[in-house]
Amino acid sequence: MAIENPSKRLFTNGLVVTQKVFVRSRNGDASKVVREHYLRDDIPCLSKGCTYCQNILKPDPEGNFVHFTLSATPLSLEGLAHHYLVLDTNIILHAIDLIESSSIFFDVVIPQTVLEEVRNRSFPIYTRIRSLVRSDEKRFAVFHNDFHQDCYVYRNPSESMNDRNDRAIRQFCQWFQLHLSTYQDKDHYSPIQVVFLCNDRDSREKAKKEGILSKSLFEYIDYFPNANDLKDLIPNYDDEPSNDFSKNKHQITYPEYYSTAKLMGGLKNATLYQGIVNVSPYNFLEGQVSVPNLSKPLLILGRESLNRAFNGDQVVVELLPKEKWKKPSSLIMEDDVVNANDNADDDDSEDNKNNKTISISETERKLLIYEALKTQNADPNSESSVILPTAKVVGIVKRNWRPFVGQISSHSIDLNDLKSNSTKSCFVALMDKSLPKVRIRTRRMKELIGKRIVISIDSWPINSKYPQGHFVRSLGEIESVEAETEALLLEYGVEYKPFSKNVLDCLPKEGHSWKVPQDLNADELIKKRKDLRDRLVCSIDPPGCVDIDDALHARRLPNGNWEVGVHIADVTHFVKPNTPLDAEGASRATSVYLVDKRIDMLPLLLGTDLCSLKPYVDRFSFSVIWELDDDANIINVDYTKSIIKSREAFSYEQAQLRIDDKNNQDELTNGMRALLQLSIKLKQKRLDAGALNLASPEVKVHMDSETYDPSEVEVKKLLATNSLVEEFMLLANISVARKIYSSFEQTAMLRRHGDPPATNFTLLNQMLKVRKNMHISLENSKALADSLDNCVDPKDPYFNTLLRIMSTRCMLAAEYFISGSFSYPEFKHYGLAVDIYTHFTSPIRRYCDVVAHRQLAAAIGYESLDIIHRDKNKMDLIAKNINKRHRNAQFAGRASIEYYVGQVMKNNESSEEGYVIKIFSNGIVVLVPKFGVESLIKLESLGDPNSAVFDEDNFELSFKNKKNVKRTVAVFDRVIVQVKSVFDERTSKRKAELVLV
Amino acid sequence: MSRQEIYSPEGLRVDGRRWNEIRRLSCKINTHPISCDGSSYLQIGNTKVMTMVHGPIEPKNKSSLLQDRAYLTVNLNIPSFSFFNATTNKKLSKNSKKILELQVSLVNIFQDLIILKNYPRTQIIINTIVLNQDGSLISSIINSISLALIDSGISMYDYISSVNCGLFNSKFPILDLNYLEELDLPFLTIAIIGKSENVSFLLLENNLPLDALEKILAISISGSHRIKDLMDNQVKKSSKLRIKSINEQSIN
Repeated sequence: MAIENPSKRLFTNGLVVTQKVFVRSRNGDASKVVREHYLRDDIPCLSKGCTYCQNILKPDPEGNFVHFTLSATPLSLEGLAHHYLVLDTNIILHAIDLIESSSIFFDVVIPQTVLEEVRNRSFPIYTRIRSLVRSDEKRFAVFHNDFHQDCYVYRNPSESMNDRNDRAIRQFCQWFQLHLSTYQDKDHYSPIQVVFLCNDRDSREKAKKEGILSKSLFEYIDYFPNANDLKDLIPNYDDEPSNDFSKNKHQITYPEYYSTAKLMGGLKNATLYQGIVNVSPYNFLEGQVSVPNLSKPLLILGRESLNRAFNGDQVVVELLPKEKWKKPSSLIMEDDVVNANDNADDDDSEDNKNNKTISISETERKLLIYEALKTQNADPNSESSVILPTAKVVGIVKRNWRPFVGQISSHSIDLNDLKSNSTKSCFVALMDKSLPKVRIRTRRMKELIGKRIVISIDSWPINSKYPQGHFVRSLGEIESVEAETEALLLEYGVEYKPFSKNVLDCLPKEGHSWKVPQDLNADELIKKRKDLRDRLVCSIDPPGCVDIDDALHARRLPNGNWEVGVHIADVTHFVKPNTPLDAEGASRATSVYLVDKRIDMLPLLLGTDLCSLKPYVDRFSFSVIWELDDDANIINVDYTKSIIKSREAFSYEQAQLRIDDKNNQDELTNGMRALLQLSIKLKQKRLDAGALNLASPEVKVHMDSETYDPSEVEVKKLLATNSLVEEFMLLANISVARKIYSSFEQTAMLRRHGDPPATNFTLLNQMLKVRKNMHISLENSKALADSLDNCVDPKDPYFNTLLRIMSTRCMLAAEYFISGSFSYPEFKHYGLAVDIYTHFTSPIRRYCDVVAHRQLAAAIGYESLDIIHRDKNKMDLIAKNINKRHRNAQFAGRASIEYYVGQVMKNNESSEEGYVIKIFSNGIVVLVPKFGVESLIKLESLGDPNSAVFDEDNFELSFKNKKNVKRTVAVFDRVIVQVKSVFDERTSKRKAELVLV
Repeated sequence: MSRQEIYSPEGLRVDGRRWNEIRRLSCKINTHPISCDGSSYLQIGNTKVMTMVHGPIEPKNKSSLLQDRAYLTVNLNIPSFSFFNATTNKKLSKNSKKILELQVSLVNIFQDLIILKNYPRTQIIINTIVLNQDGSLISSIINSISLALIDSGISMYDYISSVNCGLFNSKFPILDLNYLEELDLPFLTIAIIGKSENVSFLLLENNLPLDALEKILAISISGSHRIKDLMDNQVKKSSKLRIKSINEQSIN
């Protein structure tokens, strides 16, 4: 509740000051808060056509003046003169996609009142608006009307805050129009109209009375010649009468979410839990929520329990009564199979019947939690351990909604009715199978069928079975390379737009002609660099590599030891903290490698030229130089910024050939031989310490050099030189990790790999015991490595590799972290069997390495470390973002390979060897090593579903096949399958289909 | 996440000021002419501080008697009603150590400023009460004491004026923070003697990058000078009034 005091004028510096008074309650106490509010007369309107505001500018702390963005000759349309747009809050919140589109909305003014409302309602949309304002391309400006003495309005005694804000926006429009008509340079430009866009009818009418030109979004878009196309981009929301989904006969009703107060209370006294929903990839109606105080996740079964939660949403859950606790299903369920016949225009009520509420008292619920804990802590072999506590979603804290990629599901539309141009509802099946279908309305159905499209979700009303969304844009034909690549980049949240202008402005002005300065005494920093141009440095990389991160050298010291140097591209010389370039790199966090495309973390100029350690030219580098003895023990280590000159850039094969060529005895080759010898010793030491040798079915796609069609799939090969480079990079990473940890105990950027929890291996060990009578021990990584070595099936040479692939999947993922968030023993990298580790060696393509470079530079006293890398909270955010991006980049890379493998298989069907790796009661999962694909074979395609017997204890499934012969399949069995590539109707992805032969 | 932009890209702060603007400052001297020897009331924004100076007087006890100069005592009183809300209230009132520490620093600042050797074997007591807090607490206290001392007529070398300055985004210095800004930004408090560049006090309780220090110092020094001018105006104005009234009395 605000009570405004009358304003007072302050004579000393020309500002009017007023008080904002409001009452705030926290923990039930009410306290009165008084804040000062200064009103000014020197806020520029930012219009280039204004003759007055140029004269009232004040500089910022760096002496810069604000930049005028609004064009002097803005857009004019038929029936609407040159105009600036003023947006209301509801427009921004609902139509942000449209506002961002590059075809409409130029010269827009956002009043501060609106910006603050947006910020309070949705922070992500606020940041999107802010970046529009920053980028300059669409000429957006923010006007601080609440600080302007002519625009500020006092709140009337009985007025709500919203009404006051609406009035403030209208006041601003009025002032702005007056300001423009008074001060606009009328000699040169035609008059500019202010158009107020608002979807609130009431506000529009008031605006009209006050003489402001106001339009609704629809009315405004009608002025455009391509209005019909644009209208599709407008989201669905309830104000518009045409978009009403809720008037249906059969209504499904989801349970209502609890009130915020009830959620807060429940979380506080631990009857409710908060966590992130993880929907099973095999069953879209089964989700799991990991909550902090229970060791195993809670199960959420069924549409009603999931209660409109999306995969990845942050939700509040409540436990269900004990008799409803269940096993995780061993069934496979896909949305389209279950609900293939749903009509996009109405909802059915199949799930509505068992909608009886079970009331449980608070005390009972607390007892239930003890039960849940007891059940989870019970002996893993007892019967009760199989049953998991179930829960239902009672509130959503944060939606994980983003633009989704999908395609119109052909079941949901009447193919005969495509000709009319009226708006129709249809379902969009999303590429992510764990998400439900989304209903959209479009009048361009005809064009959009068979296309990959991007949609945005608007809401999921309580009485609608499916969420409602709107069309954003089309990516192109399904299965075309461009559409698929863009789709998977979007789907994994990879930022792939070209670098913006202010990012590129941070690059050296010389561009490609930038050179290492000749004068090594030019400034303080260059004096601190070591000149290592006399060392015989070379780089070894995959063929065709252009972003050369690392180079190596080795030379014999007079005392018989070896001097080995690892030289890493000095990216931080160009990427300084707190620049737009750094911000962009930090948000991308990693380069993404797809089969035919690379999405760079840093602009090409740096990645492939100025930073890349190309041969025959001087380059800045960051060097780690060890003194090693003949057994590769570290005698001494030194870190220095340096200047190097690479003598040669080898591919792995070239390097291997050169080393193998006995006749070649030049110094460079001998250095490489020494490196190879040392690396073999390093590797042996690592393996002795218990480093794991795990496997993943990695394949490489060969492209036809002329047509760029994928022609062949090959399993990746490893050469000795691969491991040469790898060993020294590991060594450098470890040494650097120790150094930065010793200097920055709280904020060093490190990488850890946790011990795998024994429970992850329970199933695998059970399978091994039953089927092969083998066992994997888990005491430590050494025991695991040894036991993996012992698991050999003499009849099947591939079995060991298969086992390694399967155990890799049981491991935890390695993660980046800040040293302050874990204790030293937890820094351990399990897979590499070292106590501390970081990433330092690829700063061109990973942001972690950039941070490590800066920290190391500070640790050796080269330059001071920026505050953001010393602030624990900020570093935590950086680490979180890197982890997320890194994971997404991996997924995107794999999805890209999967797509190409699908394309290759389209042309060559064949019979291959495969292995059964998982068994369900209605299907089996088979892995085909040659293509690195795995796929589910459903029981129906195996044979007669009614004859099937699923022996859960022995991991066996027996059934009568199509020829009515009884057949039994068990886990680890080698089977021959026919590999085909089929087009999946639901996801519209080509994927491998396997048929058991 | 704070709900407002601390410093918007357009260059305005939460309360509508620009980066180098101080809040509305108003002050009075000789507010309590009867009960003490020198008094002042200072208000910057919504921070309100009142100071009363007693002395030079005969020391209350033997321990505060020095043969060669006056003994200086500062009592700081921050009552709980002066706080914005209950949470900060608990934080500071229990932590009276912080107040003791502040009192010691204040004694140190003014010891060097007052010509104590002029008043041997006496005591000067400074009582300061904070009536309302809205950021820059310490600098307001220093400014208020400085005014009260001038009012009391105790000989001093010069004014002492103080201001605080924060750093936004490791880049932009921001002068004279209010309570909301103090929560979010690292800041330092500085006290300057007269119109010189002599720093008599500098307090920094957060992390600040070293390379930004110079920028912040420069702007805080000019801010202090501005505050000194504003205080000086007020002192001259009320002095004129007092002289006028004394003259009128003597004529009568």
